[in-house]
Amino acid sequence: SGEEGIYPHLIKFCEGHLEKLNPKSRALRKETPVATEASFSKDEWNQIMDDLRTWAEETKKSETLLKQEPVFDLLKEKIPPVRSSNSFVPLNEKSFPKQRTNSSKHVLPRDYQEWDKFDVEEECNKVDGVLKNDPPAILNTGHPNIKRAVDASLLSQQEKFLLANREKDKGNEAFRANDYEEAVAYYSRSLSIIPTVSAYNNRAQAEINLQHWHNAMTDCQQVLELEPRNKKALLRRATVHNHMGNFQMASEDLRMVLQEEPNNASAIQLLSKIERKLSDCLPEQQSKGKKILIEELEEQEEQRACPVQPSQPVGGEESSAAPAERGDMGNAQKKPHSRGDGGPHSESSNSHHGHWRGKGGASDKYKVTEESKVANGSSKRGSTASVQGDKRSGTKGTTGGGKAEESVNLDAPCGALPPHLSRLKNEGNLLFKNGQFADALEKYSQAIQGYTDSGIDSPEDLCILYSNRAACYLKDGNSQDCIQDCTRALELQPFSLKPLLRRAMAYESLERYKKAYVDYKTVLQIDISVQAAHDSVNRITRLLIEQDGPEWREKLPDIPMVPLSAQQHRREEPPSEEVLRARAEKATRDAERRAEIHFSAFKQEGNDFVKKGQYQEALGKYTECLKLKPKECAIYTNRALCYLKLERFMEAKKDCDTALELEPGNKKAFYRRALANKGLKDYLACSSDLQEVLQLDANVQEAEKELEEVTVLLRQSLANTSQDKPRKTVPIKEVDGDEDMTDVPASESSCTRDNINLKPSSAYEFEPQLLPQYLSNQLDGHTISFIMKALNLHLLGKNPNLVYRHLHHLHTADRFSVVLMLLEKDERRYMSQLFEHLSAVESTEFTKGDVQNLANKYI
Amino acid sequence: MSSPLSKPQIIAHIQKSLNYTVFDSKWIPCSAKFVCLGNFARGTGVIQIYEVQHGEAQLIKQVEKPKPIKCGTFGAASLQQRHIATGDFDGNLHIWNLEAPDVPVYTTKAHKEIVNSIDGVGGLGIGDGAPEIVTGSRDGTVKVWDPRQKDLPVANMEPVGGETRRDCWTVAFGHAFNDQDRCVCAGYDNGDIKLFDLRNMSLRWETNIKNGVCCVEFDRKDININKLVATSLEGKFHVFDMRTQHPTKGFASISEKAHKSTIWQVRHLPQNRDIFMTAGGAGNLHLWKYEYPAQRSKKDSDGVDVGVAGSVNLLQNVNLSTQPIASLDWSPDKQGLCLCSGFDQSVRVLIVTKLNVA
Repeated sequence: SGEEGIYPHLIKFCEGHLEKLNPKSRALRKETPVATEASFSKDEWNQIMDDLRTWAEETKKSETLLKQEPVFDLLKEKIPPVRSSNSFVPLNEKSFPKQRTNSSKHVLPRDYQEWDKFDVEEECNKVDGVLKNDPPAILNTGHPNIKRAVDASLLSQQEKFLLANREKDKGNEAFRANDYEEAVAYYSRSLSIIPTVSAYNNRAQAEINLQHWHNAMTDCQQVLELEPRNKKALLRRATVHNHMGNFQMASEDLRMVLQEEPNNASAIQLLSKIERKLSDCLPEQQSKGKKILIEELEEQEEQRACPVQPSQPVGGEESSAAPAERGDMGNAQKKPHSRGDGGPHSESSNSHHGHWRGKGGASDKYKVTEESKVANGSSKRGSTASVQGDKRSGTKGTTGGGKAEESVNLDAPCGALPPHLSRLKNEGNLLFKNGQFADALEKYSQAIQGYTDSGIDSPEDLCILYSNRAACYLKDGNSQDCIQDCTRALELQPFSLKPLLRRAMAYESLERYKKAYVDYKTVLQIDISVQAAHDSVNRITRLLIEQDGPEWREKLPDIPMVPLSAQQHRREEPPSEEVLRARAEKATRDAERRAEIHFSAFKQEGNDFVKKGQYQEALGKYTECLKLKPKECAIYTNRALCYLKLERFMEAKKDCDTALELEPGNKKAFYRRALANKGLKDYLACSSDLQEVLQLDANVQEAEKELEEVTVLLRQSLANTSQDKPRKTVPIKEVDGDEDMTDVPASESSCTRDNINLKPSSAYEFEPQLLPQYLSNQLDGHTISFIMKALNLHLLGKNPNLVYRHLHHLHTADRFSVVLMLLEKDERRYMSQLFEHLSAVESTEFTKGDVQNLANKYI
Repeated sequence: MSSPLSKPQIIAHIQKSLNYTVFDSKWIPCSAKFVCLGNFARGTGVIQIYEVQHGEAQLIKQVEKPKPIKCGTFGAASLQQRHIATGDFDGNLHIWNLEAPDVPVYTTKAHKEIVNSIDGVGGLGIGDGAPEIVTGSRDGTVKVWDPRQKDLPVANMEPVGGETRRDCWTVAFGHAFNDQDRCVCAGYDNGDIKLFDLRNMSLRWETNIKNGVCCVEFDRKDININKLVATSLEGKFHVFDMRTQHPTKGFASISEKAHKSTIWQVRHLPQNRDIFMTAGGAGNLHLWKYEYPAQRSKKDSDGVDVGVAGSVNLLQNVNLSTQPIASLDWSPDKQGLCLCSGFDQSVRVLIVTKLNVA
C-alpha cells in the first residue's frame, strides 16, 4: 500500500469476514460521499428532479394562495390565555423527593472523595425509604386526553388540508408503533378537519386491529360512499364481515376487489379462507342457530348505522366538519333497505348521487323508483336536487363522483332563466344537497321573486323552482306551504310528476288521505313505476277503508284523468337502455334473492325435520328446494339421506347419482349411494362406492365400518350363490359322463386358461364362480364372445343352470364393463340371443326375472 | 446491504457559499424558500431569504441586524403569518415578519447572554394550545415566552441562587397534544438533560449523559411524549423512550456512538417520526431509523412498569464537508428535502430519496 502499517488486503479480508459475522457492525460503517447524478440511473435522476421542480412550482402557487387569504384575528380568541405570568420553576425542584435529597447538588457523577465517604447502609436505607413511598411509574400510554376533534372552522382551506394531512401522518406513525388507539384518535382528528378517503381507510384498519368491528365497518362504508370501488375499503370491509361471521358479504366484497385487481394476493387468500368457512357452515353444519346469529348481527349493524350516520360517525366529529357528508345522509338512510341485496347492489345505491349522475338525466326515472324504497321520502332531496341540476343545467358531464359535486358550477345556465336567477337556483340546489333546507328555501324564494319581477315567460322553470321550494318545505315539515307550492307548480305544468308526488306526501303527512290518494293515483297514471306511490296507495287504501268503510271509494274526490300527452311525455323520455337493463338486473337479482331466501328457508326446515327424524316431511322440503335450485348438490345428498331413512333405496341412489354428476367428488353422495346400494343388495357397487369414499377421505370411520360389513356381506352373497355349489357340482359330476358336455367347458375354459396360466388340474375342478379369478384382468372381447358361443352352442341345451351361473359370475370379472363397451355388433347380437334362449328355459335355480336382471348387466 | 440503491440516498442538490458564518437555516413553511441566520465578519447579524428555483438557490432578501443571530424558529407562528422568532448573541428575542423584516414585530431582552437555542410550538398547526417560544441561554436559564406578552416570560427555569449556572445549549418543546399539557426539554453543557412539565410547573425528570448535550429533540412536539433524542459532545446520541417513566430509573434509553466527533444536530423527519438525521462535527450526516421493541414496557422485579428501549438502524451516512454541520432542517412540506448549513460558510439543500421504503 505504500503506507506503513496499512495492509489493504488484510483490511478487506477482515471486513469481509466481519460482514459475515455481524453485518451491522459499527466497524463496517464507511463514510460515503454524497450521492450525485452519477449514482442514479438517468430515469431515477430525472424523476427526482422533476418531482422537485413540480413541488417547487406547486408550493409557489399555494403560497400565493395562502398570502391572499385574509388573516383571521378571530383565531386568536380561541387560543388559550397567556400562561400565568412568570412562573418560576427552580431548576432543581423535582416532583420526586429522592432526587432532591440525592442529586440536587451533584449532577455530575460522584467524585472519588465522595465515594470514600459513601455509606452503603445509609444509601440502602435511603433507597428503601424511597421505594416505600414511591409513586407508581408514570405511563404515557393512555390517551384519554387526545381530543378527537379539531376545531378548524376558522382555518383556510389550505391550512385545513395541511393540518389534516399532518394529523393523518401522526396517525400513521402511531399505527406503525402498534399504538392503534392513538392512531384512531389522530385519524379522527384528521377526519374532523377534512374527511378523506385515506384517513377513513386507515382508521378502519386501526379499528380492525383493535377489533372494533362496528367502527371499522362504519369507516369502510364512509369510504365506499366517497369512492364506491375503493379496493382497500372493500378488502377491509370483507375482513370485518369475515370477523362478524358474515361470510357471504365478505366474499362478495372480495370478489369486487378481485374484479378490480385480479392478482390481489391478500384478497385471494382471504377469499379462499372464507370460501372454506362458507362451505363448512353451509352444508355440513346445517346450522340454523348460526344463521340466525348472522342475521341478528346484520340487523344490529343496520340499527347502528341509522342513528350513527346522521350524527356523523364516531367520536364527536362536529357538524362543522363535513358539509359534504351531510349531503349523503339521505342516501345513508337508504342503506339498511338495500343492504340485503348484497355487495354490488348496495354499493351502487349507497354510493350517493354522484354515482347515479353518471348515467345522466335519463336515469332519473329509475332514481325515483329506487329511492322511493324509503317510503318516508326523506331521502329524496339529495338526488332530486341533483336530477334537476342535471336536467336543466346541462352539467351532465359531472360524472366525477361525490367530490365533483361540491364544485358544481353555480353559474351553469338553467333553461330560460337569466344568469343571476339560475345561479340562485343552483345555489339552492347545492344547499339542499348539503341539507341546509332553510337556506335553500331562501334561495329558491329569491329566485321565484326575481323571476316574477323579471317577467320572463318560462312556466317550466318557474314550475321547477316551485317544486324545489316545495321539497324544502316538505323537508322542514311545513306541509301547508309545500302543498301551496306544489299546487302552483301544477298550475304551471299540470301533471308533472315531482310536484304531484311531493304534494301527495304533504297531504299524507297532514293526514288528508283522500287528497293524498288522489295525487298518488295521478302519479301512478303518469308513471306506473313509482314504487313509493304504490306503497303509499296501499297504505292509504287501508286507512281509508278503516275510516270510511267499504264505500270509501265513493267518497273520494275525482281522480283526474291524465291526458295521454302527459303519459306519453313520460314515455317520450323512455328509460334508457341502461336503465332498463339495470332494472332487469335488479329484478333478476331480486328474484334470485327471494329464491335464495325461500331456498334457505326450505332447506333449513328440511334440515330441522331430519334432525327430528321426520324424514317424509323433510323429503317434501328438499324437493321444494330443488324446484328452486335444481343444481344444489347438498340438497340432493340430503334428500338421498331421507330416502335412505325411508328405505327408498332406488330414489336415494338416483339422488346420489345426480349429486355426483353435479359434484363428482362428493363424499357424502358416495357414502349414501353405498348405503343405497347396500339396501339394494348390490354389495359390489356398494363396496366400490365405499372405497371411493375412503379414497377421498381416509378418515371416514363409518365408511370403513360399512366397508368391512359390506365385504362380509359380499362374501356371504357370493357364498350364497356358491352355496348351491355342492348341489350344483353334483349335477355337474352327474353329467360328467356326458362327454360332449364336459368337452365344451373344458375347451372353453382351457382357452381361458391358456391366457392365464392359472390351471385347475382338470376341467372338473373348474367352477363358474372362479371364472373372474381365472380371467383376472385378461378379459377381452374375443374371450367373451368365445365364452358366449360355447355357452350357447354347447351348454345351453344341456345345462342351462350352468350357463346361468357362468353368466352370473362372468360380469364380475375385471374390466368387464370396458370390454362390454368394445364388443362388436355381431357379438352383441349373439349375446342377446343367448339371453333370449336362457330366458326361454324353465329352471328351478333361476327365474325369468333373474335372467332379465342379468341381461341388463350385459346388454 | 444487498443493493446500494435500495436504501435511502442523500443527494447534495444545491450548495451555496455564503460570505458570512451561518448559524442556523430554516425552511419557510409552505414555500420553497428558506432563511439563513448568521454573523458577518464585521460583527453584525444577518437574515437572508433564499428561494429554490430551477436547481439553484436565489437570494431574495437580505437584512443586516446589529447583533449576530444565533438561532430561529417558525414553530410559534401561524401558517399565514409565518413570522420567524430569533435569538441573538446579546440575549434578545425578536420576532420578524419576513415580508417586512426591518422592524421586529416583537422584541424583548430575554437573557443576559447569548441565546443558544430556540424552539416554538402552537403554530403551523403543530401542537394544541397557545403559541409559545422557549429560549435557552448561556446564562443558564430556560425561559418560555408568549408572543402576546411583552418583556415577561410566562415560565422561567433557572437554578436556585448560589448554584453554578450551567450553559444551556439546547431546548425543545414536546408533549403538546392538548391545550394544557406541554413539556420543555433542555440540555446543558455538563451533560444534564432536564424535562420541565409546563402544566404542573415542575421538573419532571432529569438525567446526565456525561457529556455536553448539543441537541435535544422530541420525535414530535404535538403528541403524547414518545421519544427523545439527545446528542452529545463526544459523538454519542441517546434515544429515550418517553412512554413509560419508572419512578427511579426514569426512561429507558439506548445510546449509539455514531460519529467520531460531536453530534451537533438531530432532526426527525416531519413525515415519519421514527426516522431522524444526525449531523456531525466532521461534516457528515447519518440517517437513522428507530425500531420499536416488541413490548414497549415490562414489569421490573417490584412490579413497577419500566420502559424498554428499541434499537436504531443506520440507513445511510455521507460525508458532506470537513467542517462541522451546525444546523439541519427538514422541509415540512416536501418529504426528503433537507437543508443544512455548516461552518464552511455554505448552505446546502439535500434530497434524501426512498424514505418510504426505509
